[in-house]
This record gives sequence, C-alpha cells and structure tokens, in this order.
Amino acid sequence: MKKRITLFLLVAGLTAGLIFAQAKPAKVIAIKGARIVPVVGDDIETGTIIIKDGKIEAVGRDVAIPAGAEVVEAKGLTAYPGMIDSYSFLGLQEISGVNETVDTRETGRINPQVRAIEALRYDSMHIPITLANGITAALVAPSGGLISGQSTLIKLYGWTNREMSIKASAAMQIEFPALRGGRGGFGGGMGRSGGAGAADATRLIAELKELFNKARSYDKRKAFAAKIQTVGLPGFDETSEFLLPVIKGDLPVMISVHSDRDIKAALAFVSDEKLKAVFYGVEQGWKAAEELKAANIPVIIGSTYDMPPVWEDGYDQLYRNPVLLNKAGVKIAFSSSSASVAWNLPYHAAKAAAFGLDKREALKAVTIYPAEIFGVDKMMGSLERGKAANIVLSDGDILETRTNIKKVYVDGRDCDLSNKYTELLEKYKKK
Amino acid sequence: MRVRQWFYLLPVFLLVFAISWSAPADVGPTYAVRNAKIVPVTGPVIDKGTLIIRDGLIEAVGAADKVVIPEDAEVFEAEGLIAYPGLISAHTNLFLEEAAAPARPTGEAAPGPAELMAGAAAQPQSPQNADLIIFKNLKPRKSTLDGFLKAGFTTVLVAPNRGIFQGQSVIVNLNGEEPGPMVVKNSAALHLNFTTNRGGYPSSLMGTIAYIRQSFLDADHYATVQTFYAKNLKGMKRPGFDPFLEALIPYLKDRKPVVFQCNNYEEIKRALKIIEEFKLNAMLTHLNEAWRDSDVLKKAALPLLVTLDFRPPNGSKYVSQGEDLRKKAEAEIYPANAANLAKAGLKFALTTFGLNDAATALKNVQTAIKAGLPKEVALKALTIQPALFLGLAQQLGSLEPGKIANVILTKGELFEDKTQVDKVFVDGVLWKF
Amino acid sequence: MSARFMRFWSAALILAAVSLPAFSAGGSLLIKNGTLLTVTKGVIAKGDILVLDGLIKQIGPNIQAPPGVTVIDAAGKYVIPGIIDSHTHIALNGTNEGSEAITPEADVGAVVNADDTAILTALSGGVTMVHTMHGSANPIGGPNVVLKMKWGKPSEELVVNEALRTLKFALGENVKQSSRTILPGGPPPRYPQTRMGTNAIIRREMLKARVYMEEWDRYNKFKASKTPPKLLIPPRKDLRMEVLADLLRGKMVARCHDYQATEALEFMGLAKEFGFKIQALEHAWEAYKIADELAAAKIGISVFADSWAYKMEAAEGIAYDAGYCAKKGVLVSINSDSAERIRRLFNDAGKTMKFGGLNETEALSLVTFNPAIQLGVDKIVGSLEVGKQGDIAIFNEHPMSAYTRCDMTIIEGDVYFDRAQYLKEREEAAKQAQAPKKGGRP
Repeated sequence: MKKRITLFLLVAGLTAGLIFAQAKPAKVIAIKGARIVPVVGDDIETGTIIIKDGKIEAVGRDVAIPAGAEVVEAKGLTAYPGMIDSYSFLGLQEISGVNETVDTRETGRINPQVRAIEALRYDSMHIPITLANGITAALVAPSGGLISGQSTLIKLYGWTNREMSIKASAAMQIEFPALRGGRGGFGGGMGRSGGAGAADATRLIAELKELFNKARSYDKRKAFAAKIQTVGLPGFDETSEFLLPVIKGDLPVMISVHSDRDIKAALAFVSDEKLKAVFYGVEQGWKAAEELKAANIPVIIGSTYDMPPVWEDGYDQLYRNPVLLNKAGVKIAFSSSSASVAWNLPYHAAKAAAFGLDKREALKAVTIYPAEIFGVDKMMGSLERGKAANIVLSDGDILETRTNIKKVYVDGRDCDLSNKYTELLEKYKKK
Repeated sequence: MRVRQWFYLLPVFLLVFAISWSAPADVGPTYAVRNAKIVPVTGPVIDKGTLIIRDGLIEAVGAADKVVIPEDAEVFEAEGLIAYPGLISAHTNLFLEEAAAPARPTGEAAPGPAELMAGAAAQPQSPQNADLIIFKNLKPRKSTLDGFLKAGFTTVLVAPNRGIFQGQSVIVNLNGEEPGPMVVKNSAALHLNFTTNRGGYPSSLMGTIAYIRQSFLDADHYATVQTFYAKNLKGMKRPGFDPFLEALIPYLKDRKPVVFQCNNYEEIKRALKIIEEFKLNAMLTHLNEAWRDSDVLKKAALPLLVTLDFRPPNGSKYVSQGEDLRKKAEAEIYPANAANLAKAGLKFALTTFGLNDAATALKNVQTAIKAGLPKEVALKALTIQPALFLGLAQQLGSLEPGKIANVILTKGELFEDKTQVDKVFVDGVLWKF
Repeated sequence: MSARFMRFWSAALILAAVSLPAFSAGGSLLIKNGTLLTVTKGVIAKGDILVLDGLIKQIGPNIQAPPGVTVIDAAGKYVIPGIIDSHTHIALNGTNEGSEAITPEADVGAVVNADDTAILTALSGGVTMVHTMHGSANPIGGPNVVLKMKWGKPSEELVVNEALRTLKFALGENVKQSSRTILPGGPPPRYPQTRMGTNAIIRREMLKARVYMEEWDRYNKFKASKTPPKLLIPPRKDLRMEVLADLLRGKMVARCHDYQATEALEFMGLAKEFGFKIQALEHAWEAYKIADELAAAKIGISVFADSWAYKMEAAEGIAYDAGYCAKKGVLVSINSDSAERIRRLFNDAGKTMKFGGLNETEALSLVTFNPAIQLGVDKIVGSLEVGKQGDIAIFNEHPMSAYTRCDMTIIEGDVYFDRAQYLKEREEAAKQAQAPKKGGRP
C-alpha cells in the first residue's frame, strides 16, 4: 500500500504538484459539534473532527481543538466520509446523445492499451454536480468490446485530470461475452451485451484466454531475453504489453457480467487465469452468490434504475440482488453507472435498503467497501485518523433524497459546490 | 428411386388423359365408390354405402344396397374406407410466389446497414392493394398440391398477403397446376390486415387504423360523387378515377365480404369497431386469441375463420411473462381456442392459415380435439361451415347429390393418429399422387 | 422456481378476468390505521379509509368494516392516492406514426394493449393511472389516452373517459430529425428540418383546419337551407382535419413535447394565435427560464426529475426545474416517459425536496394531484377524499423517503398489487421447486 501512495504522490508531483501544494495551505480545520458517522466504528452523537494537512488528524467526542484552527460550527449537521461511486462515466461523457462529447468506447474489441485517465475531462459539468451530493471519488470506466481499456479511480475535485487521479489505472475492464443470446423478457430486456449467441460467447471466451496465454508467453520470452542477451527480444505486441500488469497481478480486472450462467463462466475464467478480479453488473448474482463468496470476488452493483434481466427473476430482483449478495457474505459496492446522474449513487443504495439491505451495510457499500475493493481503504472510505479528509456535512441521512449536503471536503479542502445546476438556477432567479 | 421414376412419367400420363378428356363435351369420368362408410356431414352416417361420381359432381349417395352402380362407372371397392367431403381451408396464402428481391450486381460487397436502410426506406411497399386480384399471382405447384391433398384438403381460399388492404382472394379446388380450371370463386373477399407500411405511411398500427377508416370514408365519398355525376353527366365536371377506391366500392356498398385478419385479442375488437362504423359484411380470420372474449364475438355474430396455428402472438401476455408460460400457452391454452368457441356456441371454420403445411394443421386438429373440441364440430369446421361462410354451401362442404365431387377416402377415421388419406377426388377426378 | 409462481399468478389472473362482469362496480375494502397522506386535506397520523363499490366512502378514525368488507392493516405504513403518470407510452401497440410530419388522425386510443406487462411494472410502483401518449416523432402526433392500470381487464375497461381529450405536439430535435443521417440515394429529408419549419408547419395545419371547418360549415348551412343548390356534394371527411378542428373548437387540449425556452414560448404564441389550449408542456427542460410566462398563461409542465444531458437540447435541464417552477406557481407533474422509471416516480418526486425545496406534500402532489389536474380528472382521483375513486397506494415508509417501497396498489377498491401476497407465493413456489419432482410431464 505504501508503494501505491508513493506512486500516487509521484504522479501528482509530476503533473500538478505545484498547484496542488499552493492551493492547500497546511492549515488546521476543526469541524465542531457535528453528529459523526465514521462508518467504521460507532457513531458519535456530538463530536469533533480535526483536519490537518488534508488528512484526518482526530475524530472523537472529546477532541481538543488546536489553537489557531479554523473552526467550522456543524451543530445539527452530520459528518460522513465522502462517498465513492464504483462505476461511472464521469469525465468521459458529457451529453450521451452527442457523439462529439462521448469518449467511453473505443472502436474494436481488444483495447487494453486505452486509459480512461488520459481522456478524462476534468472540467466536466457532471463532476461538480456529483461532488455537490457528497460523492468525493469515482471509478471512471471505458466500456464496450471485449477488453474495453483501463478504468481510473479519481477524486471529484481538482484542476487537472492528473491532479484528480487516485489510481491512474484502477482496473482492466473486461466485458464478459454473454452465453445467453439476447436477454428477453421483462420490459424488453436490458439491452446490454445481448445478441451474441452461445457459440459466439464460447469463441469469445476462448479468444480472451488466448490473449492472456499469449501475454504470459510474451512475458516469459521478454524475461528470458533480458537474462540472456543472445536470445532475440519478442516482437512488440501491444495487447500483450498492456496485459502484463494484469497477468502479474498488479492490475485487477473488472469484469462486466450479468446472467448467472455467465457469472459462473466468468468465475471459472478468473480462476483458470489466476486473475485478481472484481465483477460489475452481476444482475443475477443472487443465483451464484455462494460461488461468488467462495471465490472471494467483490461485486459492483450496476444501476438499480433498470429492469430485471428476465421476467422469472421477479419485478424487484435488481433491488433484491444486493440484499441477497450481502446476506451471502459477498462484498458489494454500489455504482451510478452514469455520468449525468452519477449524483444518484446514494439512492441506489437506499433502494436496496428499501428491499431489505441493512441501512448501515448500504452506507458501507458506498464508502468503505468500495475503498476496500479498490485497495484504497487505508486512504479513504471512513472517518478515521490518518485518512484523507474526504468529509461530507449534511442535514440528514446521506442516502436520503430529501437530505441537503452543506459542505464537502476533499483532502481537507472546502470544496466550491457551485455547479451547472446552481449556476443556471441563480442566473434565471435574477430574471 | 422407383417412386421417382414414376413421377417422371406422370406428366406423360396426364397429357394422354387430358387429350382424351378434351372431347367436344368435355365430360369427366364416372366413378362408383362401393361399400364405404360414408360421412356426408350434413346427414346421418351411412355405415355401408355407395357414392357415385359423374362428370365432376356427386350423382348419388346412399346405402350400398340402394344405389345402383352405373354401367360406365369405374368401380372402387371401398370396404374398410371412409368417405368424407374434401376438407376446406378458408384462409391460406398458398401458391403465392414471393417476388424475387432485385439481384445485386455480382462482385459487389453485401450492402451495409446504411445502404439497407436507405433501400428499405426508398421502396415502401404499397399498403393499398385493394384492386389486386390475387388469382393473377397463383403459381400452383405439384408438391404443395400433394401435401394438401394428402391431408384431405380439396378446396382452399387463397388470399393475398401484403399490405393493409391486401387485395381480393380466390377460392380454388386443388385439381391441378393450371390456375384457370381451379377457380371456384374469384374475387371472393377483400382482405385486410392490421400491419404497417415499413418506410412509408402508415408506419404504426394507429396510423393503420386511421388509414383503413380514411380509405373507407374516401370510398364512400368517391361513390357519392360518382352517383352525383351519373345523374349530372351534363353540367358536372367529370370526377377523377381512382382504382383503389373503385375497388373498395363493392365491399363498402354491395356487401361483398371483407375479411379482417385479427392477429391478437385487441385486433378483434379493433376490427369490430371498423366493421360497425362502416356496416361491413365482414369475416374475421386468424383469431387464435378468439377464446379470450367469446362474448364480444357472440354479439358480433360474424363468420369466424379460426387458424390452427397455436403459437401465441407476439406481445401477448402469454409470451411476455417468461418462457415457461409461453410454452404452456402454446401446448395447452391456445389449442383450446376452438373448444372454447364451441362451448360458447359460436360457429367457426378452422383454417391452415399461418401454417406451412397441411400435415401440421391436421395434427393440430387432433390437439384441439384433445383440448376439448368435439370431433364432429371439428369436421364441420373444415367442411360445411367454411362452405356456408364462403357462400359455397350449394356446391361444397358435404356429400350430397349435385354437389361438386370433392371426396376423400380414408383408412381410419379422420383426426386419428394413424389415419391415412387413401384416395382423393377433386372435381370428380381421382388425384394421382 | 419463480417461473412456477408466475404461472400461478397468470392462471389466477385469467380466472379473475373471466369471472369478472364486463362492467364491475369496483371493490370494497377498509384500510386501517395508516398514516394518510391525503395530499389535499393534510396528513392524518392514524386513520382509516373505507372504499365501497370502488369509491371512497369515509375517511377518519375508527371506521368499522361493514359485513363482508376486507380489512387491510396499514399500521406503520403510509397511505397515499394512487400515483398518476402524466406522460408515458406504455400499454400501446406502437408509439409513433413517424412517417409523416402531421398525423393527428393517428390515435393511440385505437391501439391500447392491455397485455403490456409494463402495466404490472407500473402497479409495482404504486401507479394507478397513466396518460399514455403518442411519440414525439412529428410536430403534430396524435390523440393520447388516459388509462387505469387494471391488469387483467380488457383494454376498453382501462380507458378513463372522464379525462380531457389531449393531442400530442412535439418540437425540437426529434421533430427536425437531428439524429437522422441523410443517406445518399435515400429518401429526401422530411420537412421540417428546423425549428422555424416546425413552427411554420403547425401554423400551416391550423390554417388548413380553419378552411376545412369553414367548408363543412358552409355545406351544413346550404344543406339546411330551404333551397339547397342542385349539386350540393358533401366535402371529403378528413380524419386528420377532424382532430385539428376539435382542438380549435376547444374539444381537445394540446400537450406539447418541448425542450428549449424559445420553442416553448413560440408554441404558446401559436396557441394564442389560433385559440387552442395548451394543457401542459412535456419535458420542458428549460421551463425554469420562462416560469413566470408559464404561470401567467396557466400552462403546466410535465417533466423528469433528473434525466438530462442525453441530447443537446437537454443540456441545460437542471434538476431544479420541477421544484423551482412549482414554487413559481406553475402546475408541475413528474413523469416517467419510460416503462422502467414508472416504477419509481415517487423516488423522482422526492428529489424535488432537495432541488427546489418542496415539502413532502408538495413533492407528493407532483405525482398525484397535479397530474390529475393536468389530465382533467382531479374531481375523481389524485387525492384521498370522500367521493373520489378508491385508487390508493400503500408504502412502508414515507413515499418521499429514499428508503420507501410500495407494498400495495389498489384501483377502485380492487387490489391489483400486493407485495406480501407476492412474496408468499414466491416462497411457496421456491419450496415447490425444491421438492423432489414427481414423474410425468414437466
């Protein structure tokens, strides 16, 4: 983990370190009198949070406020850790119907070389709107094809894409071929990755395996040639080259997979290939919950604003799926699966809670669980000493639609919460 | 192999016979079917009877000991066989060859989706074929004829199958490959289907309904203007001629039958509204969801041409609630359609509409019987009932003297598993398979 | 397992459909001890509602159930008027007559499809009534229809005849076919291709309709006169013009799909020019820019809570739109326009509390009473009041909370969705599926 943080600091330093440093004076902030929901550990009815150098210095009932600290009176407000959206298109998509503003999907099927971070529109109109609802970090994923590219984990505040980067490359995104041809039923199906017949899927899975085999052999040949100078270097192979971090276990794969059959096939695939994997979507995960648990695969829930894949699953299946997965002991995290309404993330979690998910588990699934899944739980995901000061002050339950977010801190910075919504509103209020 | 060789010789035989029959009076053969069990449909069953066919017509039907066999008759010993009137399918799309798609110049790549879209959009098919007389398009084929005759069908209505106003059907006896001599009734009915016109107007079902209504309104207006003109030839500007509206007039004004294809429950009600609005002399066809509301059909009291196709229509709630229900619907619910109609006291004909082959249709009759359709109702629904609906009860649908000699001889009762059609007479001529 | 349950479910529905009389008077039931959110008459913390023969007979504490009337325990739950979706396209066979620009003859009421399972979806979200509309492919689409979500009943029993007759108009990108690629050799672009042309074509049709009306007026006058002309031939009856004539005669009202403020204002100008009434603007993502004008003209809006930025003209669709306009006195409803969103309209309404600062009742009225007014059915549904139809939904939590769930949906006193029953059947089906299979056909 230390290595990662160092790496992150290195990257930040290389790109926007100067601005970063200047914008963040080494001051101390004390958030006083708030109800505190640290997520990890017990709630504190009234307490104080001390922020120093962008990090949480102290959290507690009886925390002394250092002299010279800027005191934020937060009586009547609740402090939460900033939420994490585990799958979004933030910064890759402005207006979904206008192709000129969409950078989510590269052409072709095999694109391990493309990286979301490199196209991330850091001043996307959607990012401040999302931030204003208490979401401080998000995974941004390319999609489409078989290997879609590398997703990135970003914080939702910063002046450049690189400054926002938490993990420039968070995962290799793979869209698992669907064995079930089409996904009929219930409202006309879900329109995802349908169409490929079973035969096609088998062929595509074989193709995927072959790519990994090839990358491994490429790796071996490279290593051998490095050792023995007389052995020729293997010819440059872009796909293999960019799969190297995956086969070496440095970069996890995030596999988009939907039906139970496909989930089981994907489990076999990651086990065969010995990959570090996270699954995304997983609409019929409840039918393979035990297998997912046994393989210790965390699951990122797709949007609940969708129809169940098949009629037989029942009308409430997308709401119930996270409940059943959680019950089976599978680690879950929610996602907006959106750019324009990424700010709805907490309501997906609340929706599952309405159908039986423990409310605290729902909260964890937008804070500490995603932090754990992305391997950044030492840095964020809860209000604990030493973590980045990503703090949200709200006037109520953060998963409630009627709750207003009053303040958001990212790395201890008091964020400007104005955004396109508020700017237009203010403009026309003057009319 | 032997059979095949025999087939090659068949045209030769037919030719020889044709020449010998085309004597001045054009008189057909005389047959006596002796000692058969006879099911006339309209009268009581004759356990041991004789049936005389002369020159295309049934000359006599009766108990074997009452009917005298004429001297010129070719006698068929039919002990153990059962004679029925030939079956009638009151709605088919047989013998209609699809117009071949325009050939792509060779050497060119297959058209991409963009080109296909442009092509499809550029050539919308006409929704108004009311003036199409489908007889002109008939291309009878021996193999199709054999298939239907082997299943016992001797008469079919052939309807056009394109567009909304599809055109006018023809009723034919399956007596050969020459369309002319087959015709029993031309321009039998006007056929309408609730479909859309891809790439043109109307492109939606609601547009289609408006289009049908507007067309009848226009035909009515057209007729009114024509009537005015007929009375004011001098002094009134001659109204324009419109072949489409012209073709509609007999159906709108003279009560010639209009057949509405009702592909699902909702379309039955949609058709009834239009029929009521324009006071049409109508029949309904397809109707495999007729069972869902027998009351509304009872009230309408229209001839019902009910398909033996048991596949639930797309969009039916029996299709959209999972695969299990769809399978159950096809296996159990839809096959009970006819049984339910019979129970409700409705009169209907069964048709092979939508099915590729007559054998499937016949198998489906058995399924319908298993689902509760009385056998005798099934038989009527394939013989006298369609004849009545199509205005052919004087000529077809039962074994009665004077009627057209469409007769089938079966080994075993009709609609039984192992039953086979042994001989078929169409227009009084023994069919050679 | 649940497939089996569905079979059971469907079989039960078939039976219900067969055994019900053609015109059922509606059901009777007593809902006890719920928190009643009446919308128009405040909140009753613990109260009962008695529905008799489909109508709300009594609201208050301690109502005794008449003999034979089912009692539903709503203790700890929230009872609200059935949710009304002011803009959907469900329960239809087809949505758009997109082949031509002007198709007012294409009436969605002619293609109601009671088999659409979206009706069940709607019920699962507490929706009891929808305004199901012609699509937005053409400047003048066609008449719309208001339906109750009576799953299992024949289509004609779904239609709400008391509702206003509405005609769909559309402006902007869809109408000018912005997303359509014009292909070489393909059909020429359809007029109009601009917002100028859109306004012009609507004006043209209104002028045509005026001529049509006058032609018939003249004919009828001549016909009624004592000395009609010899060659008095009736004019051609034109279904297209008949509908527009009804709009101009005030027998119908307009519902117009629009996004941008300018096109909305100009359409309002057309309505004034020709004297027809706009009941509501659909989507109206820039309504907040012209809220005063809308309020002054008494034109409502039917909008999304937050679905925006999916096309250029939706790029300024801020989530404050609904709440802000409501505060400005515009009659606002939140619609689904989707067979999926329809099951969470209450969630969407709840978002206006954050954006726009509406209170619970104001937010709830966006999906109950306000759409009822927009559809002209506020005298019969839209709130919990004695004498209104017993269209009711029961939620486990406050319906404006994100943690809420619809537990029961009732139309005219008949239960159409019951989550408890659903779960019970699902459990039984699961048990059956686990039991060892006996011989015979599956």
